[in-house]
Amino acid sequence: MSKPKLFLLDAYALIYRSYFAFIKNPRINSKGMNTSASFGFMNILNELLRKEEPDHIAVVFDVNKPTFRHEMYKEYKANREKMPEELRENIPYIRDMIKAMNIPLIEQEGYEADDVIGTLAKRLEKEGVDVFMMTPDKDYGQLVSQNIKMYKPKRFGQGIDILGVEEINEKYKLKEPTQLIDILALWGDASDNIPGAPGIGEKTDIKLVGEYGSVEGIYEHIEDLKGKQKEKLIENKEQVMLSKELVTINIDVPLDQDYSDLERKEPNAEALEKIFDELEFRNLKARVIPQKAAPAPSAQGSLFDAMPEEEETYSDLDSLQSIETDYKLIITKKDTEEFAELLKKQKAFCFDTETTSAEPIKAELVGMSFSWEKRKAFYVSIKGNDLDLNTIIDLFKPILEDIGVEITAQNAKYDMLVMRKYGVQLSRNLFDTMIAHYLIQPELPHNIDSIAERYLQYKKVTTESLIGKKGKNQISMAQLNPEKVKDYACEDADITYQLKPLLEKELEDHNLTKLFQEVEMPLISVLADMEFYGVKIDSEALKNIANELREELIELEKNIHQMAGMEFNIASPKQLGEVLFERLKITDKPKRTKTKQYATGEDVL
Amino acid sequence: MPAILEFRGLNKLLNTYVEALPKLVNSKTGKIHTSYNQAVTATGRLSSTNPNLQNIPIRDDKGKIMRKAFIPSDDQHILLAADYSQIELRIMAHLSEDEAMLEAFQNDEDIHQSTAAKLFKVKPDEVTREQRGQAKGANFGIIYGISAFGLAQNTGMSNKDAKALIDSYFETYPKVKAYMDASIAKAREAGYAETIMGRKRFLKDINSANGVVRGAAERNAINAPIQGSSADMIKVAMVKINQTIREQGLKSRMIMQVHDEVIIDAEKNEIEKVKNIVLESMQKAIPLKVKMKVDMNTGNDWLEAH
Repeated sequence: MSKPKLFLLDAYALIYRSYFAFIKNPRINSKGMNTSASFGFMNILNELLRKEEPDHIAVVFDVNKPTFRHEMYKEYKANREKMPEELRENIPYIRDMIKAMNIPLIEQEGYEADDVIGTLAKRLEKEGVDVFMMTPDKDYGQLVSQNIKMYKPKRFGQGIDILGVEEINEKYKLKEPTQLIDILALWGDASDNIPGAPGIGEKTDIKLVGEYGSVEGIYEHIEDLKGKQKEKLIENKEQVMLSKELVTINIDVPLDQDYSDLERKEPNAEALEKIFDELEFRNLKARVIPQKAAPAPSAQGSLFDAMPEEEETYSDLDSLQSIETDYKLIITKKDTEEFAELLKKQKAFCFDTETTSAEPIKAELVGMSFSWEKRKAFYVSIKGNDLDLNTIIDLFKPILEDIGVEITAQNAKYDMLVMRKYGVQLSRNLFDTMIAHYLIQPELPHNIDSIAERYLQYKKVTTESLIGKKGKNQISMAQLNPEKVKDYACEDADITYQLKPLLEKELEDHNLTKLFQEVEMPLISVLADMEFYGVKIDSEALKNIANELREELIELEKNIHQMAGMEFNIASPKQLGEVLFERLKITDKPKRTKTKQYATGEDVL
Repeated sequence: MPAILEFRGLNKLLNTYVEALPKLVNSKTGKIHTSYNQAVTATGRLSSTNPNLQNIPIRDDKGKIMRKAFIPSDDQHILLAADYSQIELRIMAHLSEDEAMLEAFQNDEDIHQSTAAKLFKVKPDEVTREQRGQAKGANFGIIYGISAFGLAQNTGMSNKDAKALIDSYFETYPKVKAYMDASIAKAREAGYAETIMGRKRFLKDINSANGVVRGAAERNAINAPIQGSSADMIKVAMVKINQTIREQGLKSRMIMQVHDEVIIDAEKNEIEKVKNIVLESMQKAIPLKVKMKVDMNTGNDWLEAH
């Protein structure tokens, strides 16, 4: 029979990880709160419970107060960046979630999480359990034993590394994991402001510990060493010894928790539901407390059956696979004519073009999608249509130009410019979702995928999945089967139309309706006019300017070379740095860049 | 050292602008078709790409030469450039309702000279170049919520002199100081700053415990209403200009907007009408307590028109 499993989680390290995992595309809920950290942490916790089925578990927090290490060394962690505010506001929610999960939350004033985890691990391994310390922090390696392992999440959610005695010894070329303390003492830690032994490379540190067993061993044999290495070590002996004390995890923290306190219990579904609802974690709620979740909106079975395993970890959103839609391809003569009749009866609809280029001036029309009802949309394919392009344009032109029709579009200027090439003046009675969102949240991303994720908790099919990534291998919409374009195009129109009332209400709530309707919407066609008309450029004049500049540059170059007494490439910062600081020695203390080159920025010069 | 900096400047001008611009010319139309972005800047201003007009140098004479390459569509046309004069300071005068500043604008004084005269307690015609320069630094610095330290950095004054200058500035324009304080207080309360037309800029760091990020948010609380209102104003004017030109069936067209300026490709025999439309639209876009001034010029290229 396998031994029971105890998991000890290093809370803040995992929370930071979660926050930064979403930093490029943070999760923002409808209240504008960045919930990345809460979402990511809860996901990690839920995955852990599901996959590993721990028998015992605890989450350990650092206490935001000085610890015994600060008493030892007042500079300890002195240069730590403050926690970003949008992360900080997640902490109370995360603590509440842990409590609602009925998982013990442990913290001890005067000690850090690693001390608490170290103490618990060492104490409880005697109970005959397998202890797993869940943390990305390498320092925990020193605690590893036959019964204690590191459970280390890889970057970008790429799975887990389990590090036991063998792995740690191999990684740092040690005889036993406790020697990691000696290596860390020599390395120091810039983020904790631990000095270590400066001037000696990390690999050398590993070699030294390998040879002499410990920091103390090195100093006993200091006379065997030579040159700079020896000098540096002697010079910094005091701070190396201090560093060793600082990096040693304390395994004698006074703690009340007993083995039985860490037994896994059932979560409190009511309490969790409240938090999930407040944070707007719809699908996470369905996963963690399925009994509380609303029935899946789809007849195609639950969200989880449809989603691949790894998607599930980081997605909390609906998608085209998970909901039922009514998207129609319009490609026959009969359908196209009938659809135009149907469209004519609508007073408002969403319109979107599918084209061959992101630049409207170059773009050719491949098809048009329309929607005026949730989850229902039509894609009129020009490619492969029974009717020719001109006939289709003639059918739709009067509808699209009708000022009595309100057209919703995402980035309407683009569609306006594309249609203009086909002689269609898109109605100026517009609702542009991109610009509406820009007024509501100027500094968040305004692409439709991102708005849909935040307002509809919906994950759109990406353009890349259809036509590939940008670059020379990207294919054109025109090369795709219309049936394939249909889903993508209809989804665009459908989602955009669903967003309209939500954004409209927000504009109203923020008193932005007037600015939107009287300034930003009319401006769209003004800008389209300007772009379409263009600006004439005098190529001759540019050539003359270029020639004049080149002559001046040659003259300047000559002067500079003369002053330097040699020829070199002035545009190369490397060569310039060498000339200025090594040849001309204009200063004794040249600054260097991160890559050890001389700094030659404007402010330096 | 100056030679190296000049070399770099010219090299950049050559590589990024002079040699890049012809590549953007559309082979069918022989024109560039700049793309305007209406949803990019945090302030509400327009931005543009291919090329980014904002980045075309205007400060030094060398950079300005680029403008020679922007020309009317044919010899029936001429470029008309219309530029708001001191739009941001005028908006600040309006928002703060500072009598001294309002009056200076009402009398169409050179605002920097007039500010210098007040700061250094001399007659306007006795203001030296250096004094005007410092007053100008203060005027623009204030719009951006600048600190004494920042002002010293920009003008080369000592920190102490810069502090004294700012103190004296606030004595000269007491309501400007009140406006700045009120802007920060309002933003702290609401979580955002707001323009004359209600455009918002959210300042989540305005209550931050971290002094650096809070300071940046506070500067934005002062600047966002000013910058953003000038964006509102230019946008309103553009809509009006375009609409009137079309209503009157004219052939002239607005072709560019950059900084506080709009540029028209004006049919030569429509020029007087167009000037009136542009002036009227720009001046009356958003009525303020201070009259907006618009500098207009025509020319056979953008440099000449500006």
